[in-house]
Amino acid sequence: MKRDVHFILNGRPVTFSVEPRTTLLRALREYGVTSVKRGCEEGECGTCTVVIDDLAQKSCMILALEAEGKSVLTVEGLVGPKGELHPIQQAFVDEGAIQCGFCTPGMIMSAYAFLRKTPDPTEEDIRVALAGNLCRCTGYIPIFRAVQKAAAVMRELGHIPGRAR
Amino acid sequence: MLAFEMERPRSLASAAELLEKYGSRAMVKAGGTDVLVWMRKHAVHPEVLVDLSEIPELRGISFYPHRGIKIGALATVNETAENEDVKRYYPALRDACLSHSDILIRNKATVLGNICASVPSGDLIPAFAVYEAVLHVFGPGGERDIPFSDFITGPRKNSLIPGEIVTAATLPLPGDRSVGCYLKLARRNALDLAQVGVACLAVEGEEGRTYRIACGAVAPKPVRASEAEKILQGAAAPGDDLLEKAGKAAAEASNPITDVRASREYRLSMVEELTKRAVALCAERLQGGRAS
Repeated sequence: MKRDVHFILNGRPVTFSVEPRTTLLRALREYGVTSVKRGCEEGECGTCTVVIDDLAQKSCMILALEAEGKSVLTVEGLVGPKGELHPIQQAFVDEGAIQCGFCTPGMIMSAYAFLRKTPDPTEEDIRVALAGNLCRCTGYIPIFRAVQKAAAVMRELGHIPGRAR
Repeated sequence: MLAFEMERPRSLASAAELLEKYGSRAMVKAGGTDVLVWMRKHAVHPEVLVDLSEIPELRGISFYPHRGIKIGALATVNETAENEDVKRYYPALRDACLSHSDILIRNKATVLGNICASVPSGDLIPAFAVYEAVLHVFGPGGERDIPFSDFITGPRKNSLIPGEIVTAATLPLPGDRSVGCYLKLARRNALDLAQVGVACLAVEGEEGRTYRIACGAVAPKPVRASEAEKILQGAAAPGDDLLEKAGKAAAEASNPITDVRASREYRLSMVEELTKRAVALCAERLQGGRAS
């Protein structure tokens, strides 16, 4: 039987009607949030990564009903009001950290949660933070470079009031 | 995933009532990172899933100087790894937490979930064995404590009776001071189950220097290498001879299977090697004054 779940999605309150067995991944996709990718659906690949209450998590391992009262952020929520890309997104574009793009939203959400906690990371830190996200195209190196670059941009923006996000 | 109903009780008492009401048709979940995957693969088919994640009394980690650290059933693996008292006093537990899956799953998976799943390769299991954890259980017969050495009875089997919920675990502080580590062998660093995992403590206490060694993924139940511990007792800086003997004793205590991850022979050889390395590392750290 379907039940209502209420939560904050990318800053806006939403109500989804879901079955208990519906994972957050499937619920989000059904409601049009298609940046959240359905890869392995068993926690191995990380393409469904979202940020819940500041923690990056795999949405295929969360039932939609568990999102009740929580704040869920997807890559759509990182885009500015005029469509401007978040520094992490921009860095992925600039560094060519995308090939097929399937892993990219998950990578970016993992990187986002990570950089908020670790503004000045080493490459080793980045490797550990992204260890749950698989990429079969890039060989990871451009991705690590993009996260490093985004970290620098975000540190810079952090000094300007109102610009830090 | 087959359809099921979900209950989200707000107190331990109502969770217990639900389990009593539904009996074997119900299953509990905390983080759910195991249960949801098992359900998806049709390995388990609960009609009712009792989600413990909204029960406040199961949250948190507290440290009591005379009793040790108490880890609540909802404490996630990352929360435990980042806890200051775990960092200071329970390094083998911290190592085990950081070797578990990946940073994303660790934000959801709970430490006690890993214990209650009772899968032989569970990364937290050897650490619970060396810290001689006690599990606090709430159930139809009231509350009881189960020593960890009596908890796991076989692969995916433990001594919980129907309707019982593990609410927390206490890991007593070992001796006056101790160091520890957990060494895990897997095919890759992240997102892999252990082929062999060895937890080791070097303890300075009333009986002088003692060691505690536990091996995971090498038998149906967690293996406490007590023969190896006896061999090492009193040795502040065990030499190659002693390490060799202890490694062999740990392998003799093990009885691994051959599966997709490793063969029996490889596991036996690696449990010996990891035991040697873990003991040497702990002995060196305790000498070096990095003890807690």
